[in-house]
Amino acid sequence: MFLHNLKYELLAQLRVKMFIVWLLVFPIALGFFFKMAFSGIYEKQDKFSSVPAAVVLTEEDPQFRAVLDEMERSDKPVLKAAYLTAEEAEKQLKDEKIEGIIRSEKGVLKLTVAGEGMNETILKSFCDIYNSNSEIIRSADPSKLPAVTGILMQDISPVEDIKLSGGNTDYYTEYFYNLIAMVGLFGSLIGLTITIEHQANLSALGARKNCSPTPKSLSLAASLVSRFIMQTACMIVCVSFQYFVLGIDYGRNLPLVYLGAVFAGIMGVSLGFMVGSIGKGTKDLKTSLTTAVVMFSCFLSGLMVGNMKSIIGRYAPIVNEINPASVISDCFHCLNIYDNYDRFISKLIVMAVMTFIFSFIGFILTRRRKYASL
Amino acid sequence: MANTIVKIDGLVKRYKNLIALDHLSLEIKEGEVFGLLGPNGSGKTTTINCLLSLLAFDKGTIEIFGKPMTPTSYDIKREIGIIMQNVAVFNELTVYDNIDYFCGLYITDKDKRKQCVEEAIKFVGLEDFTKFYPQKLSGGLLRRLNIACGIAHKPKLIILDEPTVAVDPQSRNKILEGIEQLNREGATVIYTSHYMEEVEQICTRIAIMDKGHKVAEGTKEELKKMIKNTETIWIEIPEPGEQLKAEIAALPHIYSTDYKDGRLQACCSGGKHNLIRVLEVLQKHDMHIGRVYTELPTLNDVFLEITGKALRDKEE
Repeated sequence: MFLHNLKYELLAQLRVKMFIVWLLVFPIALGFFFKMAFSGIYEKQDKFSSVPAAVVLTEEDPQFRAVLDEMERSDKPVLKAAYLTAEEAEKQLKDEKIEGIIRSEKGVLKLTVAGEGMNETILKSFCDIYNSNSEIIRSADPSKLPAVTGILMQDISPVEDIKLSGGNTDYYTEYFYNLIAMVGLFGSLIGLTITIEHQANLSALGARKNCSPTPKSLSLAASLVSRFIMQTACMIVCVSFQYFVLGIDYGRNLPLVYLGAVFAGIMGVSLGFMVGSIGKGTKDLKTSLTTAVVMFSCFLSGLMVGNMKSIIGRYAPIVNEINPASVISDCFHCLNIYDNYDRFISKLIVMAVMTFIFSFIGFILTRRRKYASL
Repeated sequence: MANTIVKIDGLVKRYKNLIALDHLSLEIKEGEVFGLLGPNGSGKTTTINCLLSLLAFDKGTIEIFGKPMTPTSYDIKREIGIIMQNVAVFNELTVYDNIDYFCGLYITDKDKRKQCVEEAIKFVGLEDFTKFYPQKLSGGLLRRLNIACGIAHKPKLIILDEPTVAVDPQSRNKILEGIEQLNREGATVIYTSHYMEEVEQICTRIAIMDKGHKVAEGTKEELKKMIKNTETIWIEIPEPGEQLKAEIAALPHIYSTDYKDGRLQACCSGGKHNLIRVLEVLQKHDMHIGRVYTELPTLNDVFLEITGKALRDKEE
């Protein structure tokens, strides 16, 4: 009986156009637009990462030249160095064609800049690191110079953030995490349909199911599992599309991103199931209520207004701990911030517990046997 | 004597200040096609919903197959087929899958279910549409699918709640013939409608409802005997004078006369040869007579006389 219900519930779900649009087409389209919008920013960041600077050598400095050559060969060079005379360098600095002039005098780098800013800071960092490690560079085996250069310069890259966990903390990747969170919460819409299809006062289908000899709890369980399966598939497609098609870099945590997404989706379904089962409203009212709950949850979690989550965290931290959208976004966030998975696992546990609570409440409220009015 | 299949005793259902069912009592015997007739809002659907344990009621008892009906009376529910007023199918499943799904809620044995589904499809004449989705079906075919979903498991008691609403005449006839066939095959049928012609055509016993009350109950013949009118005579004549009208009204067994749209109407209560007597009076006055016909009372007349209003005069 359970499998019979599950089979047809799944078959029916596969053909619900609204869900296909919201759970598959929408995230794919939005992900695509995100990628298009941010690709320009990525390019700017790439250009920004190579700071144009003039190198003026008052005497030959093979080690410094070797470091610059190594850096130029790297993927994301910190400097875009041009060897110039002192006069040419001064002129270009004045014309703002370069950000600074690096002079090598007796193996020590000296920097001249025209102003203050991130590029100037990068140049200063470069010079400081070089000067404080010049002895290491001079004594290094020439064959190991690329590695030494890489290690020395990694701390001053303006493009890549410091990675503690093997993930990608790139600011723009957060948007894709948020998109996954949103798709997870959209699952509430398919969770809502469980209630609608099982309540005699909400649909004719519900009335007919209530008249059948199949226990309602069994039918509800089959519907819930079918929605979980459906939503899981959508979450996997969403993450896969972002990773394989859009090329979003989730670092080495891709399997855990899948896991988090699946948990988020299942929690979204159970949230809709619970919200739909509360109160006596009409189908339209319940749909509106579910949408409102999801939107409010997203608002509180900062998915709409950037600093809202920190405001809530300051004044009512418990809200962030129980707000579904916050829990989902925290889950992905800590996956990339922390170098161990304790917090990630704790967020997964929170999602699992919330899924259980939402489903339990949904079951209890939907199993109501008789209606006051139909 | 046939067994009692459904027994409703003193059923009361209130919606705040409105009394939807007021001490309703019914007894439906095995093999009957029992009609619940009444205008919209009279309490027919509420009765059905209470009967199916969908609606909570304030007072009264309901027994089906001799056992109290509760939401968890799965053994009783297994023997009931329900055809709702609104079509209750999955739009995302094909005709075959819909019938198989609903049949599967009652019958777990796959082979038996397959046979039942195929028979139901044949019964409602949807053989050519098994792979169609409900959106592609016409209103009539959709209603037939709705019926197939309700009867595929071969229930002993079939409840049809206005199954022919918004159905074309051809499909309506098909549905009504189907109900008669199900009854011949042994099913007891409860049929609600506000179409008196349908109820008159297929029901063996009828309860007329109005404002939550059962105002009359019996066979068609019994119901018609409850009212004064036994025959209505219609004769096309030119406008009659007052004297002529008075003479006709004074005839024995004529209790009311009227002239409207070129036709004289004379309502009779019992008696024989009423038409001949009316024609004799008209002949005496040398009236030019057009078409002449008589009508036996309908359930609408019964309803009109009992409640003081026509069956379909108000859509509540």
